Amino acid sequence: MNGAELDPAAAAPIVEARLGRTPQDMLEAAVVLEAWAGVRPERALGAAERLMAEAPDERTVSVSRLPRPAAPPHALRDGLAFLVTVIAIACWASPLTDSLGVSDVRRALTIALPLTLALQWGLRSRFLDQPGGLVELARHRGALLLGPGATVLVGSLALGRAGTLAGLLTVTWVGGTVLLRRDWPVPYVLIILMATGAMATGLAALEVVRAAGVLTTLAVVFALRPRDQTLRPLSPSASRAHLAGRALRSGLIGVGLGLMLVLDRSVSWTSGAVPALALLPSAVAGLWGAAHLRHLEIAILRGLSGVSVDGPETDGQARPALRVIAVAVLRLLGLTAALSAALVLLTPWLGSSARGSGVLAGFGLLALASLLLGLLDSLGGSRWVLVAVAAAAGTEAYIAAARIEPFAGVGLLAGGALAAALVLPAIVLLLSRSARTVATTLWIR
Amino acid sequence: MTAPRHRILLTTEGTYPYVMGGVSSWCDLLIGRLAEFDWQILPVVAPGGRPRLFELPPHAREVGRIEVWSEVLPPRPGWRRRGGDDALPATLTRHLLGWEGSTEAIVEAWRHCREHPALVRPAFRSKAGWHGFLAALREVLDERVPEAGTPPSLDLLEAATLYQTLYWVARTASAPTPETDLLHVTAAGWSAIPAVVHRALHDTPLVLTEHGVYVREAYLAAVRSGDSPGTRFAATRLARGLARVAYAAADVIAPVTEANAHWEVGLGIDPAKILVVPNGLRVPSAPTAPPRTRTVVSVGRLDPLKDALTMLRVAGETLRLAPDAQFLHYGPVPQGQEVYGRSCLQLHEQLRLGDRFRFMGPTDDPHGAMRDADVMLMTSISEGLPMAILEAMGQGRPVVSTGVGGVPDVVRGCGVVRPPGDDHGLAMAVVMLLRNPDLAWRLGRRGHRRLQRLFDESSCIEGYRGLLHTLAGDSPITDAPLVPVEPVAADGDAALPGDRDAAVAVGLTA
Repeated sequence: MNGAELDPAAAAPIVEARLGRTPQDMLEAAVVLEAWAGVRPERALGAAERLMAEAPDERTVSVSRLPRPAAPPHALRDGLAFLVTVIAIACWASPLTDSLGVSDVRRALTIALPLTLALQWGLRSRFLDQPGGLVELARHRGALLLGPGATVLVGSLALGRAGTLAGLLTVTWVGGTVLLRRDWPVPYVLIILMATGAMATGLAALEVVRAAGVLTTLAVVFALRPRDQTLRPLSPSASRAHLAGRALRSGLIGVGLGLMLVLDRSVSWTSGAVPALALLPSAVAGLWGAAHLRHLEIAILRGLSGVSVDGPETDGQARPALRVIAVAVLRLLGLTAALSAALVLLTPWLGSSARGSGVLAGFGLLALASLLLGLLDSLGGSRWVLVAVAAAAGTEAYIAAARIEPFAGVGLLAGGALAAALVLPAIVLLLSRSARTVATTLWIR
Repeated sequence: MTAPRHRILLTTEGTYPYVMGGVSSWCDLLIGRLAEFDWQILPVVAPGGRPRLFELPPHAREVGRIEVWSEVLPPRPGWRRRGGDDALPATLTRHLLGWEGSTEAIVEAWRHCREHPALVRPAFRSKAGWHGFLAALREVLDERVPEAGTPPSLDLLEAATLYQTLYWVARTASAPTPETDLLHVTAAGWSAIPAVVHRALHDTPLVLTEHGVYVREAYLAAVRSGDSPGTRFAATRLARGLARVAYAAADVIAPVTEANAHWEVGLGIDPAKILVVPNGLRVPSAPTAPPRTRTVVSVGRLDPLKDALTMLRVAGETLRLAPDAQFLHYGPVPQGQEVYGRSCLQLHEQLRLGDRFRFMGPTDDPHGAMRDADVMLMTSISEGLPMAILEAMGQGRPVVSTGVGGVPDVVRGCGVVRPPGDDHGLAMAVVMLLRNPDLAWRLGRRGHRRLQRLFDESSCIEGYRGLLHTLAGDSPITDAPLVPVEPVAADGDAALPGDRDAAVAVGLTA
């Protein structure tokens, strides 16, 4: 084809046949003429310019394609691993209390729960939820080996046996979080089951927990060996200051949630396995609800797809995302209610008094608050999350100090409800302008 | 007294020294042979560290990497100045995406990013930044310029994606560059950003070498992507905007072939700025005779620009007429083209090519691969001056290729050129050469002589030596001619590669 003779009438059918539409602009037309019709560039450009001068002025409305949803995480496997470990650890309460006394175990748990949650939130924020974060964590060999020892040592020096136990429990639980994130649930579950079996055979409970802590630490160190090819390589990191700040905020949120767990004095963590098992309904329901939130990212994007930039920013953007959140919340509350009812029925069989439906409801609200706090944090509202957690923990502390105890679990209920009430409107607000939230917060971290 | 050693900052984009390919080989050759300069390499790369594939000589060093879309965060602003320049997203949108945007305004905005790197992130995270961006985007979409067509109406997801891309443009502009005497950019896109800013700050001379034409390749990728109109619009306008800034800032634009120069002139560059420096190859002394095993060899990445699907169809048609022929394709499936790679395998299976067409994977001995060939085949829809064709000519093998970029000028007289996508025409040419080995060998030797005459490695190196020394302020130390661009093709109407009626074989009729 001789490009010199290529008038728009001849060029247009070639271009449209190749594209299946009118060209976007003269450059697109020229590229098509050159690449698929072999027209020399200088002539293709000339023909394309003439072609565009005659093109109709019709605006196409673009509807973006949604990315493919991420592969579902190993929710069932991780959930089962979590379930087994919670039940097993609940079974530790009696042997530990028999061996160390109620007072030491209570003090240990009062420290271990907030500390564990703080470290879990902080680690997730700094390493575990970051792309390549496991590799970065693996580089901290010294901290991985010495950190657990230091935690136990500091606890021992400060609080004696209670501190030792607090340190060991913290090390075991936090190590378990790392192993689950590393897709190593089996070693962790085996360690916990072996420890539970050892306690059942009458071995010294503290020594068993010590062994569990050591084994978990070694498993973490082994799982994060730097030469492991399955760990994703990491970009050079100049972001430590930012991430450290984020991790600190997340750690504080974790502390707040931990305090909410332990500040309610009507909940005893030392009366056999039942109090710990009371966490089970809300914990399992929380996992189920959170699993549904994996659809949230696509739902947010679906809310933006097809909404023209010419229109107002809030037209229906939030609906798909809010639907996902509503389902997650309903899952959490519904399953908590069902499992709690089952637990109340089973409690007499377990041989201990139930803590009452107030405690179970309180744990349920706490799980709801955790879900919503985590969600708001991931949407970039971590400062407001801190405020909500502080307000909730403060409320619980006030209820405990003022000895307001109309029924067991009132502190948990009040704290959980307040935190949920504070963060839910913020979530709705952020999602109602989700284009801005996505553009300025989620995609520019 | 010895002359001072000049420092050259070479910026690359997804190529040297981390990815094998024509541009990387060219960088390696240039750096290796121009040892009188101190080379500082600054690659712009995707996140996820890759091993370096090229060993740098002692006079070259990597001076950092600019990772785009990485998790690496920029420096934090000081406590006294927390806010960013909220107008930054709007400025970049208006002038990078606008058809007639101001290149000076972009350079000024990028310069601001470099001077205040900590303010880039706050600017893009701010409410005002987002709203300013949306307003500027609406302005761009409402532009009516005849040759620019009617922009599509983007949706908010496309807008948010574009916003993030502009953020990374600003982040790239904010990256520091080392002191240098010359800037050498290897593509008129992302790799030009740090060099353009450096030039604005220090008035350092800037050379831009274009192997392909950045804008053209961005459009080709967009056309083939199947993306929505808004996504295509954003990608192509951004590429055009980046190229316009690179062209405006460059003191010399050095395409590897005249065909690219015509694109560059068409994109508005003053022809006086353009100096064609063709790629070159070290020419083997004498070619060895072809094996006469009816082997067709192709070399190139398995990606849409190389149009491997056409190559498979050519093989299918060739094998119907010459069942004893065999095709060997050397080249990797590049990162991000896995789906395309799978589609090639599917077509291979559909066409039942079996062992007659083998994917050999990457090769570090392209010359050896060409020696095993009777015919070299290339089906690309976009090329600059492909090294694979020069390698075939170096081994005295005839070339059957699509007539894109600089291919027709190179292959003239020593091969057959057909329009892109013409699988029937390409297959007929391959069959003809396989059935006439004497003719193929004659064309191959003619190609070898042509390579010696026009595309010798030394000419390429001396061309750059002269250019770089001149820009560095030295007196020219070479008389090697640079080829100024002709605004219109000087010759060869009869040999137009795209002329389906006239040019069955450029080489055969030359």
